Amino acid sequence: MQDRQKNIRNFCIVAHIDHGKSTLADRLIEKTGTVSKRDMSDQLLDSMELEKERGITIKLTPTRMFYTYDGQEYILNLIDTPGHVDFTYEVSRSLLACEGAILIVDATQGVEAQTLANAYLAIDNNLEILPVINKIDLPSADIPKTRSEIEDVIGIPADEAPCISAKDGINIDEVLEQIIKNVPHPNGDESAPLKALIFDSYYDNFKGAVCFVRIFDGKCKAGDKIRMMQTGKEYEVTEVGTFTPSMKPLNELFAGDVGYICASIKNLTDTKVGDTITNADNPTAEKLPGYKEVQPVVFSGIFLSDGSKYGDLKDALEKLKLNDASLVFMPESSKALGFGFRCGFLGLLHMDIITERLEREFNLDIITTAPSVSYNVYKTNGQMLEVSNPSLLPPTVEIDRIEEPIVKLHVFTPPEYVGAVMELCQEKRGIYIDLQYLDKQRVRLDYTIPLGEIIYDFFDSLKSRTKGYASLDYEMNGFMPSELVRLDILLNGETCDALSLITHKDKAYERGRAIAEKLKKVIPRQLFEVPIQACVGGKIIARETISAMRKDVLAKCYGGDITRKRKLLEKQKEGKKRMRKIGSIELPSEAFMSILRTNDDNDE
Amino acid sequence: MSQSENFGIYVHIPFCLSKCLYCSFISKPACENEIKHYIDFLCGEIENKNNLFVGKVCNSIYFGGGTPSSISEKYIEKVLKTIKKHYKIVKKPEISIECNPCSVSLTKLQTYKRLGINRISFGVQSLNNKELKAIGRRHNSALAMEAILLAQEAGFENISADIMIGLPFQTKSSLCKTINKLVSAGVKHISAYMLILEDGTKLKQMVDCGQVKVANEDESVALYDMTYKKLKEKGFERYEISNFAIPGYECRHNVNYWEVGEYVGFGVSAHSYYGGVRYANSDNFDEYYVEKSTKEKISNRAHIEEMIMLGLRLANGVSIKKLNMCGYDILKHKRKEIDELLKLGLIAISDEYIKITPDNFGVTSAITLKLL
Repeated sequence: MQDRQKNIRNFCIVAHIDHGKSTLADRLIEKTGTVSKRDMSDQLLDSMELEKERGITIKLTPTRMFYTYDGQEYILNLIDTPGHVDFTYEVSRSLLACEGAILIVDATQGVEAQTLANAYLAIDNNLEILPVINKIDLPSADIPKTRSEIEDVIGIPADEAPCISAKDGINIDEVLEQIIKNVPHPNGDESAPLKALIFDSYYDNFKGAVCFVRIFDGKCKAGDKIRMMQTGKEYEVTEVGTFTPSMKPLNELFAGDVGYICASIKNLTDTKVGDTITNADNPTAEKLPGYKEVQPVVFSGIFLSDGSKYGDLKDALEKLKLNDASLVFMPESSKALGFGFRCGFLGLLHMDIITERLEREFNLDIITTAPSVSYNVYKTNGQMLEVSNPSLLPPTVEIDRIEEPIVKLHVFTPPEYVGAVMELCQEKRGIYIDLQYLDKQRVRLDYTIPLGEIIYDFFDSLKSRTKGYASLDYEMNGFMPSELVRLDILLNGETCDALSLITHKDKAYERGRAIAEKLKKVIPRQLFEVPIQACVGGKIIARETISAMRKDVLAKCYGGDITRKRKLLEKQKEGKKRMRKIGSIELPSEAFMSILRTNDDNDE
Repeated sequence: MSQSENFGIYVHIPFCLSKCLYCSFISKPACENEIKHYIDFLCGEIENKNNLFVGKVCNSIYFGGGTPSSISEKYIEKVLKTIKKHYKIVKKPEISIECNPCSVSLTKLQTYKRLGINRISFGVQSLNNKELKAIGRRHNSALAMEAILLAQEAGFENISADIMIGLPFQTKSSLCKTINKLVSAGVKHISAYMLILEDGTKLKQMVDCGQVKVANEDESVALYDMTYKKLKEKGFERYEISNFAIPGYECRHNVNYWEVGEYVGFGVSAHSYYGGVRYANSDNFDEYYVEKSTKEKISNRAHIEEMIMLGLRLANGVSIKKLNMCGYDILKHKRKEIDELLKLGLIAISDEYIKITPDNFGVTSAITLKLL
């Protein structure tokens, strides 16, 4: 029976964002006839509307394909992975379920930060790496240069790398052949007790929690009793199957397979990603190594414009959490915004996606506060607090020191922008580690830098200062003490807690001024003059004034058309409902997020 | 005869010689046959609705448009006769007609006088030719002044002029000149409306693509304040946000609107309010001719909101007593807001009325929203 596994290949595709992962996945699916041309849509595996629209992959989706080579039929299990740095952990999850990884490199751009990061992840997981050079249809494609970059920068041979155009379907067969020839087949023991890795899960309204699994040893079928080795919970299997890419039931899953298991599991938290499933009657002795738990790194308060719908927001977050274990949230209350949730995200993109899904899929009108990181605050009494909500920072006298999260940052850039990148890193309190010329066209810069600076506006600044040529990657690198202060914003003399933020002492003045200026632009004139003040530790460091409103609509009521006038007023009244009242000031919801983007305007 | 038993009659004449660039009202140039057909239908409407105001007396009649003076005076005569035949009218009603300086003649004005019309409202808009041209008016300054003289010659004393604030090219000094000239000519009433760029008008299009510039918020409010001060000097009282008159010459018909009185409107797109219901005739000619209209029952809540919204436009303000009579104690329900507005000096309370203080009419909507 071990022979069966000789015809299985489990692989994933990794790449820098936009290098063509999802397009290649489409072509492979098409070429193997897994989905008929008629049913093909672009970026097939990106099923969320948001994924298609933004051209990014958020969730990983497995697919089983059949391909005949040399007269033999092979099962190819592809696991698509996200490419953005926020979702690195999703990549590492799929890697554990595979024996090989296709590493796509864009022939017009060469090796980028995420190419390297993902390649290293694959190497760390002992995967066979198949480099593929994509986008050869573009006039600016430089195949020899890309080939040598793969060899020099990543250090893997690339002379046999297929040169393809996923978009135009050129040389796709070559990729399939190389998968069969070079990716090792799985080599599990079918007669051993069941050992299956949960690499993802999602909640289905009818089937309950669905576990995406890679079977390492043994087999599994409906009726089997299974046990989750971490939680110890036991279930009876109701269905097993594979992905085509839609779920297709099978009689049984065997060692080497990628598929799914359903067992009427009510709660998604019982299907921990990284857990090992075994047979309850015939358990395996040791579980698989599993994954590191993912930790959110960016935090933001989410509130509703209409505070009375707090329950709806809670429901929506719980529903999203069902299929996104990395999302964390806890209740929070703000004087300015009422009841809401402090949410933790993997990064800014993740935050963006969640907020957009809340608005779109749940029709909620939300207000998000400026994102923050989580600080370790050591109090004089020896206590340590994790503070991600600026308004919860204890009074200065009680603080011994604050430590902020640090990342190791890698920036890839053409040499002509090295100066600009270094300048940016310095502005953002980065500490230089290393500079390496990868080749004539590419330099890699390494810095340690506070995470709080990266989430502020680093990515946009990097792109604009390097004309979009630089790419970045980072990994968490512990905590470091830092001189941090809370910057408060006072509107008409009253502190608005939702606008507070934690910043470095030396930057407080600059940011305070920028925020005050920005708020002056976004807050509409009120019936009275409104002073905006930025304040640190009780000291005012910046001030702007919004002068009082002078005029609104003096509409003529034509021929007794009172209805129209009333409708106009009602419309204005509706508009006011969307405003947040801070004391006697009416604030539009954009105000809370706009303080994050102060720098954009200055750059223009 | 108590005021509540009075009502106003509005007659819409939807024809103009040409369309002004800022106009979003129902109006069009028309041929004689069309006008005749319209007037016939209109008179039918007047006749059909005569049972609505049994026991009540009409206090004012107002011909608005469009341009009522653009059609032959014989039609106006026919309409007035129909009204008089079917409605009870006070002894000395106010009968107004809107006129365009281009479409009046001494004979026409004399006919109006003979028909009992006693108030002429000229759509002057400005006495600066550049400003007039910019908004597509057909007349010029000289023609407007001549029209006023003709009206006086025909025996009219109660003459009003509409002017606009915030026109392209308008400056403080040009507006000041317009006002001075009108007052010297003996006009007794001035309506000053801020230019509103309505969607779908040519002027809005032109402003949107940068062809013309109109006054911004601060500029137009400065122009408005100046208008108020200038007219005050000349003995004009601001009795309503946009209306200024020598005492005794306030427009009775319009005041009835602000006091949430009853009125009936005849003609295409005309509005009516009686028996607690607001009606609107269709603003489409074809639909109007098949008597299509909409109606909306005004709830007590909406009635209260209307009283506040409209009352605050008046210099006298909104009557706290009248609100109380509708079961709404504004001093109790809006205590916080009222205190805040009083503290800011935006409103004043006197003689059982809440009113906006003279310098703050520019923010009427914002104040109204707080008190609704």
